[in-house]
Amino acid sequence: MSAIQAERLTKRYGSVAAVSDVTFEVSAGEVAGFLGPNGAGKTTTLRMLAGLVRPTSGHCRVLGRSVPGPGLREVGTMIEEPTFYPYLTGRANLRHAALLHGDVPARRIDEALAFVRMENAADKKVRAYSQGMRQRLALARAILWKPKVLLLDEPTNGLDPAGIAEVREALATVADEGAAVLVSSHILAEVEKLADRVLAIDKGVLRFDGSLDRLVSRMDEATVTYVVHAADVNTVLAAAQELGLTARAGDGGAALVDVPRAEAGDLLHRLALQGVKVTSATPLTDSLESAYLRLVNPAEKPS
Amino acid sequence: MSGAGRLAAIGHVFRAEAFKVLRKRRVYVLAALYWAVLPILVLVTARVLHVNLARSFANEVGNVDQALQLFASPFGLVQVALAAPAYMSPTLYIVAVALVAALLIGDERSQNMWKSVLVVQPDRWAVLLGKVAVAMATLGALMLGGAVSGFLFGALGTTFLPTTFVGAWGEVAGLYLLQWAVLLAPTLFAFLMVFVVRSGVLGVVTVLFLPGLVEGIYTVLTSLAQLQPLNRINAVFQALRLQRAWEALPEYFFTANLYLPGRWPVRDAVNAFLETADEVDMGPLTGMLGGDLTLPHAGLVMLGYAVLFGVLLAWSFLRRDVD
Repeated sequence: MSAIQAERLTKRYGSVAAVSDVTFEVSAGEVAGFLGPNGAGKTTTLRMLAGLVRPTSGHCRVLGRSVPGPGLREVGTMIEEPTFYPYLTGRANLRHAALLHGDVPARRIDEALAFVRMENAADKKVRAYSQGMRQRLALARAILWKPKVLLLDEPTNGLDPAGIAEVREALATVADEGAAVLVSSHILAEVEKLADRVLAIDKGVLRFDGSLDRLVSRMDEATVTYVVHAADVNTVLAAAQELGLTARAGDGGAALVDVPRAEAGDLLHRLALQGVKVTSATPLTDSLESAYLRLVNPAEKPS
Repeated sequence: MSGAGRLAAIGHVFRAEAFKVLRKRRVYVLAALYWAVLPILVLVTARVLHVNLARSFANEVGNVDQALQLFASPFGLVQVALAAPAYMSPTLYIVAVALVAALLIGDERSQNMWKSVLVVQPDRWAVLLGKVAVAMATLGALMLGGAVSGFLFGALGTTFLPTTFVGAWGEVAGLYLLQWAVLLAPTLFAFLMVFVVRSGVLGVVTVLFLPGLVEGIYTVLTSLAQLQPLNRINAVFQALRLQRAWEALPEYFFTANLYLPGRWPVRDAVNAFLETADEVDMGPLTGMLGGDLTLPHAGLVMLGYAVLFGVLLAWSFLRRDVD
């Protein structure tokens, strides 16, 4: 059973569709990155999953239970900027959340504070906290009752590099303990490091759902581009033309050869038969950034 | 959700919100004003009156002593703690209600906390009922504290004033209970305003002034309707045969009924002081003493308001998306 299920989720505000027909699932123990530019519909989707916003159509489930509903008690969230009661200390804010939840042992507050390395600042009023400290405290609150699902919206905003690394480590730990983590971000490099699966959304539409490898290796495309190195690049270009393949000269004396995916396995053999002495041939992969740009703006095809 | 589950959830909300209220300084400021400043002011005034008038002609028939017993004895100060908040402007009751609403509902908005609260505790009924329960408990604690401090300061006053512990304690306890119960209506109104207006400050301002504003408009319209000769307004009333209903409307005014239990001891005290059980034309003071309204009437009217505001609050709170 998937821990998070979104089924044909749509949210319209008047005539504007913030989210359109979005369907995906996240399993227990998985960290999924929810990728998209600002205004793409990430936060609205997370709000629907957290039961804060009612979908116009479609529905969501957490741990098999409809949202909104009691299943949300197993969910930890951090949606948009972290907010707290500023007149309470960090510890008191966690205590309030623990009381509100009703099923949190007192020791968990100290454990959660230690988990985000906030023990020393826990007794200061939150109004004196920096953005990074608030972010850490929000993560402590999100994991306070050991939730089985974590919905995190831009959790590393305002953190320094060390803080980002700690959050990454923390999320990995939480996932290792069996929680499903859906973490949104518009920063590609962050998603690359945090998640093993990517959900890319743009203009409210889910454009991609799959592994990072699949996204950057263009596995969804009908052709594979190979970077071929040979003693003489011109022999590669000529042989490719002879075989009916598209080829062009690339950087560093390489040739870029487009092969139908079904025929990719035979490329080296076919080039050899044409007398080409191939020294290396590797499939061309995008950087995450260019892969993402290719997804959200198919007209632009960065090399 | 099962009944037991919801009850447990309400309990969780109650504990969490009470935890928050107990850490808010302004609650203690209000309590200090109510529990200490008010009775001290009364005792100082009583002492000044006693020192200056006890042996004067004004006290020849014991009027001054009677007045001191009425408002500075233990029983008198307990009554003052009930009545005085109803005579301030804005009344201390509505200030307390607005404060509690701002803390329990306004803070969630101004600190953008709904998104955290409603995920931690997704049962919105439980959140709403828990918060109302904490609001009523806070108001109850403030009133109870006022009564206890009034009694204690009054007891202290017996050492330097000619006052005793005599009083209709059962009756005043009933008035406290009724006054506390009718505060449910303004509490729900305040929750509704602060939630719907989506601004803590604006919501509180609305709570403080809207009922008075509506009733003020009524007064203006009534004055216009009574102008002779016939004008557009009284012509409309006569044409629609609404004159009688319009004249009866003040009996259902929010503020008049809300403060009636608190103002009741003053009406009693005035009658006692005038030594008559007969109707006395109090002129402009009539409204301040509650007019001809009765306590059961006030209780029923405020119950009606509570139901109205409660339904509107539940409807808006349960169905609205959280930004």
